[in-house]
Amino acid sequence: MKTPAKSPIEENGDGMTRRRMLSWFSGVGLFGSLIVTVFSNLIFIKPRATYGQPNRFSIGKPDEFPSGARVSLDARRVCVVRDGDKIAAISTTCTHLGCIVSVSETGFSCPCHGSRYDQDGNVTGGPAPRALPWFQVSLAPNGEIEIDKDTEIEPGNYLRV
Amino acid sequence: MSTQTKARPRNPLVALPENIWRSIFRNPLPSSDLGRASTSFTNFFLHLHPVKVHRNSLRATFTLGLGLIAFFLFMILVVTGILLMFYYVPSTTQAYDRMLDLRGTVAFGIFLRNMHRWSAHGMVAVVFLHMCRVFLTGSYKPPREFNWVLGVLLLLITLFLSFTGYLLPWDQLAFWAITVGTSIASYAPLVGKQVKFVLLGDSTVGQEALLRFYVLHVAVLPAVLSLLVAIHFWRIRKDGGLSRPEEEDALPPDAPKVQVELVEGPYVVLATSPAAAAAAEPVLQKRHYGIQGLVRGPFTKVGNVPDRSVFAWPNLFMAELVVFLITVAGVLLVSLFFNAPLEQPVNVMHPPNPAKAPWYFLGLQEQVSYSAFWGGVGIPTIEVLLLLLVPYIDRKVAGVGRWFARERLLANSLFLTFVIVNVILIIIGTFFRGPNWEFVSPW
Repeated sequence: MKTPAKSPIEENGDGMTRRRMLSWFSGVGLFGSLIVTVFSNLIFIKPRATYGQPNRFSIGKPDEFPSGARVSLDARRVCVVRDGDKIAAISTTCTHLGCIVSVSETGFSCPCHGSRYDQDGNVTGGPAPRALPWFQVSLAPNGEIEIDKDTEIEPGNYLRV
Repeated sequence: MSTQTKARPRNPLVALPENIWRSIFRNPLPSSDLGRASTSFTNFFLHLHPVKVHRNSLRATFTLGLGLIAFFLFMILVVTGILLMFYYVPSTTQAYDRMLDLRGTVAFGIFLRNMHRWSAHGMVAVVFLHMCRVFLTGSYKPPREFNWVLGVLLLLITLFLSFTGYLLPWDQLAFWAITVGTSIASYAPLVGKQVKFVLLGDSTVGQEALLRFYVLHVAVLPAVLSLLVAIHFWRIRKDGGLSRPEEEDALPPDAPKVQVELVEGPYVVLATSPAAAAAAEPVLQKRHYGIQGLVRGPFTKVGNVPDRSVFAWPNLFMAELVVFLITVAGVLLVSLFFNAPLEQPVNVMHPPNPAKAPWYFLGLQEQVSYSAFWGGVGIPTIEVLLLLLVPYIDRKVAGVGRWFARERLLANSLFLTFVIVNVILIIIGTFFRGPNWEFVSPW
């Protein structure tokens, strides 16, 4: 009795058979769609527009801030510093964990975990890992001071008015 | 007409209540072992349980009922949480007012909020204690490794549920705890800033964050938790019930010694040991069983082998009922006498000083005051990874099913050190930290 002839598919055991190739395609397809799904969800969940406060805003005319003033605008989370004709905006968001630092005699201090900063925002104590950033300050055409919290500048750079 | 016989069909109207009752409850209250078994089997709520349960699993001093208490607290949280949803609005302008309404106008509002808050605190504590019980009795040893992993995930989800719920009242405590908590997340390497932004839906805590936390709290996390709890329970059954010491599986000394021998053909003869066989049970030698008799597990048992298991009905169900009643009574009592705290409405400009997280995160906050990355991300990540890997590191199968087994002295000591260090950190954070997170004495 002759053994039935093997089909070309079965003979070629190590090579790529039709069945194996289809399995591969299906596997890659299923796994690929899973990855696409996960990524789509991540893209979906990350908002494109936020509804909070804008990061670029004006705070009024320069003469509202007399020389030597250190005015903390808590709602905007910046401290406006004026020294003579020089104006700067220092962040009041603690670099440790995001609490609002308050203006103290020696500079800034944080109520949450006790970080302390000097007048220029450099860390002088506590767990804060870096200095408070300075934000870009410019004079808008209508004569008001404009602060851009998206642009950090080197500490010590003042706007002259 | 007194010829009424039993065979005569009863009037369907007269028999209606009984017929309905029987169609719902297939078994009358059981009076035999068969009845006890099928009561567990045929009831939707009871079939989750094994028909027979080992005596050791019922010992209150072994389990302390902690897993059950955690589950019952979760049930209370689901019920009270759904009721609170009827009156809550996840809006920064309305949320706090709704809290006041719960106090003032909603019937039982304050009581429901108390129950929800205290059950949440209780669940965090009890889930953690349950983990301690499982570790200190060596119950994560094979084949229960994966159920331990599920348990660690359940602890994490419980903490995250509690954290997301913390923001919803929109009071000062909530706002600043979440500000601090999400900032800790931003210290994670590479993805930290992104995680924080996605979690808050904005760069600061605001309306978007409140909405996101609300959806996580009432839909996403409870669904995930329920699924994992189901798998957790299912695996208890599949892993052979709760852990117990080997001695517990040994037969009582007076039980006949039974051994299984294969003889010709696909048959198995169940025979007692030679001496016992000759003396006491000649019948057994002649009994033939199919090959099925070799199958392990609870389904095929040949011979009346004495073991130390008892029927779930009523032993296990009574125990569960007692734990349930104690849990509910405890929550009701606490909620009657203590009101859930509610601070001033959110003031974005003035953080309270000190701004403290909920008590179970105060150990974390204490660590964070030394180093934000290591205290808030590095060490917790290492701790969680170690917890997840515990059953794969400690492979020695000894001292299973006993509290503080001598063979497990090293593992238990290490674990207790971890627990005590965290408890001390929580105590320091709770009682010894004042304004600006400076050291203060509580007395």
